[in-house]
Amino acid sequence: MATGADHAVGLGLVGFSLLLFTYYTIWVIVLPFVDSDHVVHSYFLPREYSVILPGIAALILLLCVGTFIGIVTWKNRKSKKVN
Amino acid sequence: MTKLLEWLFAVSLVGVAWGLVTFDLLDFQFPAVYREVAWPMPVYLLVVFGCYSLATVGYRVATFNDCEEAARELQGQIQEAKEDLKKKGLKI
Repeated sequence: MATGADHAVGLGLVGFSLLLFTYYTIWVIVLPFVDSDHVVHSYFLPREYSVILPGIAALILLLCVGTFIGIVTWKNRKSKKVN
Repeated sequence: MTKLLEWLFAVSLVGVAWGLVTFDLLDFQFPAVYREVAWPMPVYLLVVFGCYSLATVGYRVATFNDCEEAARELQGQIQEAKEDLKKKGLKI
């Protein structure tokens, strides 16, 4: 078994992904079948956000990856000239 | 047929089915509830796949056995490699 921080981080990831999966599944699949005056609807944003928010998250991810690649390329451009 | 073609074929079949339901191209006039569930499906499947990947990575991190000796050996080899490369001029 992994110990200490590894174990905690791993379990944290599992728990987070389960939470996210449950919330998102209820939002996308369960809510349309629930009466519109039920109280559970107050815990969820309007349906459009169920597509917009992951879209924004994907854009931010792409931005981070691109920035990282840019920074690493920038840092290495001098050493290429020396060689 | 290559694997890529197979995958593209399957994906396009699913895509056409989704498009038919979401935009009602054949005028089936499904009940509103089913259209409500169908239109976020591509994003939903992506999110579910992401969650599954995250959970798999997390689970394997949590259950991976520590190998004390291998870790020490690896650290020693890293040090060796660093010194060797520094001698040959690489800047880290």
